[in-house]
Amino acid sequence: MTDRGSSLPDFTGAYRKIVGKPGPGRSVSWRVWVLGGLSIVLLLSVTQQFAKLETSDLTSSGTWLIALAWSVPILMAGLGGIFSERSGIVNIGLEGMLILGTWFGAFGTMLYGPWWGMVIAAIAGAFGGLLLAVATVTYNVDHIIAGVAINIMAPGITRFLASIHFPERGGSITQSPTIVGVSNFSLPFLAGGTIGGWKTPDTLGAIEDWGWFFISDLAGILRGFSSMSWLTLLAILIVPAATLLLWKTSFGLRLRSCGEAPHAADSLGVNVYKYKYFGVVIGGALAGFGGGFLSVQLSGLYREGQTLGKGFIGLATMIFGNWRPVGTALGALLFGFAETLRLRDPSAAHGLLLLVVLGMVLLILRALYKRRTTAAAYLGVTAALIFYWYITTDSVPNQLPKITPHIAVLVMLIFATQRLRMPAADGQPYRKGEGG
Amino acid sequence: MRKQLWLFSVVLAFALIAAACGGDSDDDTTTTTAAAGDSTETTAAATETTAATETTAVPAVDTNVGLVYDIGGRGDQSFNDSAAAGLDKATAELGITPSEASANNDGSNREELLNLQADESDLVFGIGFLFGDPMLAAATASPDVNFGIVDGFIEGAPENVAMLLFAEEQGSFLVGVAAAMKSEAGHVGFIGGVNMELIQKFEAGFVAGVHAVDDAIVIDRQYITEPPDFDGFNDPASGKVIAQSMFEGGADVVYHAAGGSGNGLFQAAKEYSDANGTKVWAIGVDSDQYLTAGDDVKDYILTSMLKRVDVSVYNTIKEQADGMFAGGVKIFDLSVDGVGYSVTGGFIDDIVADLDDWKAKIVSGEVVVPSTP
Repeated sequence: MTDRGSSLPDFTGAYRKIVGKPGPGRSVSWRVWVLGGLSIVLLLSVTQQFAKLETSDLTSSGTWLIALAWSVPILMAGLGGIFSERSGIVNIGLEGMLILGTWFGAFGTMLYGPWWGMVIAAIAGAFGGLLLAVATVTYNVDHIIAGVAINIMAPGITRFLASIHFPERGGSITQSPTIVGVSNFSLPFLAGGTIGGWKTPDTLGAIEDWGWFFISDLAGILRGFSSMSWLTLLAILIVPAATLLLWKTSFGLRLRSCGEAPHAADSLGVNVYKYKYFGVVIGGALAGFGGGFLSVQLSGLYREGQTLGKGFIGLATMIFGNWRPVGTALGALLFGFAETLRLRDPSAAHGLLLLVVLGMVLLILRALYKRRTTAAAYLGVTAALIFYWYITTDSVPNQLPKITPHIAVLVMLIFATQRLRMPAADGQPYRKGEGG
Repeated sequence: MRKQLWLFSVVLAFALIAAACGGDSDDDTTTTTAAAGDSTETTAAATETTAATETTAVPAVDTNVGLVYDIGGRGDQSFNDSAAAGLDKATAELGITPSEASANNDGSNREELLNLQADESDLVFGIGFLFGDPMLAAATASPDVNFGIVDGFIEGAPENVAMLLFAEEQGSFLVGVAAAMKSEAGHVGFIGGVNMELIQKFEAGFVAGVHAVDDAIVIDRQYITEPPDFDGFNDPASGKVIAQSMFEGGADVVYHAAGGSGNGLFQAAKEYSDANGTKVWAIGVDSDQYLTAGDDVKDYILTSMLKRVDVSVYNTIKEQADGMFAGGVKIFDLSVDGVGYSVTGGFIDDIVADLDDWKAKIVSGEVVVPSTP
């Protein structure tokens, strides 16, 4: 499948640097993932234990169940951005494609049920992508301007369509009637799912209720991950699917080559225009799916302006994830978790300060181990300041939790700029035969 | 070139299909949401209205009333709809000529819409506190036109501005009493849209009402966003998460003052009830949400705190038509039925007598409801 023998450079090593695991092949060992995951759970668990929170929301299955669902629109926008930008088209229009997805998802659900609603949402998003592709690929319009145009046009289109279709169906020009999304499922034996009408024991739920340090916390988080809506599962499965498609197939290699060195790709017989179209349209479809998920599954109705900038947050997580699906998924989960926690238990935000301090202590130890004393000193001072803030106060301003993930992404971008690598020809106009 | 034509035809076809596949709506003449600058449409509506009033023998009054909805417009099933009801009533009973407009997505054209309406109207309403600064500017620019701002106080307002305020804490007190009497768990919740003075009045009244019945009842209180972030009124997904968390935490009645985000609360109440087999309640706000929230969730709406925006709009239009318009602050409280609660659905029929007792005590001044939490 993979024609790595071609003369195209393979830049995938950039990711290796981020994870800090140089080794043969670009895949990180599963042990690293398990260890990383467990240490995050341990951090949360310790915070839960010592921050004296009123609730157990840091590690409760309810939080993680919702956090997972909440990260889906952001994740889909981020994946949409990856497909588009890997083919060399900067996609500022993700927000507009999300908006198209919210309206068409809700409308399709009203007419044909949630599954077809999601299909229609994806088609609508793909239509937004097609518009962007026509402008940027065929007519070489500046990518940013074309994307902004889509962001402005999408709310206009949806309000126009809503004014035609919703008032007579019990909605209004800004809001659809209520709709019902896709049902949830729970894994049998783990989270108390049913097999043929028989309710299996809820093992993880029972362990969560024991209230044991770490064990119960781990069970809570796992339980959150083992009962979700079918749509959430589908969204999660898209992450490995996108990775495989982009990095393990010749289609993916050609698409990425258009974003790295389009003229070189052209000289090797790749139809650059075609692949750029593929990238942007697939990206649009993913973003449309995310928008549909937001209206159908998370909100239960379409409401004008409900995307609240999630498309742009998706772009940020794409950069956070270094234009890679798995990193983007982690970024989206960070946003989803922070937002859920903020909504479910604002008091937990104060506990998060302790979590940040603990995380920084780990980083300090790592820096000391690598003999980077200056970095360790900076981190130490910051950690001490945050810890001082933590012990002298009882609560944090309510605005803080909402911007926490934004700060996290900013910090990430500041510290990792050297390691992030966008596709080499991302955002550059392409004309066949004009290459240098 | 042929390829590009093909692409464009696909795009066009898509747009046409989307616009066509739902039938037309030619029949709604009453809701001419006059788009900005569309004067022909407004005139057409005006002629029709006059014709209609002549047949029903209502004395036609030569009063033009312009009304600018806030974001969401007519059909938001809450605040704007309540104002629309007042305008519709005035149109039917007083024979005024209405003209409507809705603020755009980010609300940046409020002042322009007020000015536009002021050109043609004798009385112009802005629905919502966010019209404060725009109305100050518009009212100063058009001193001959009267203005009414619903729910907003304008510092140093000129004489041609009437500020229609409500005693939300009194209405919230009554639904608080209802929540306390209907809660079996002894645990209720409050969801506010944006943590600001106006919404804190709802919270204060609700808490006072609950504790008037039983001091031991636990009250979860939470706001969706902090100002200046007003997304909290427009975010049903967030409302749903908060409500789910409150229901999971043991609350069985949750009251919202969160505008459009309240839809999330209704969904959460239905889903929680369906999943757990125990019925939990939601309490609506501003208008009777049992009637507007949709058939699948209405059975979970215990009652709604009514903010009679329609009364305030209607009364002000009537004053204008009678030549009695006066500027300044007007407070609509329980004594004039400016606030209240709904009984649609019949879920609180058994406690209406108690609620009326409390209402009488508030009107007589025996009980003073706090307006800050």
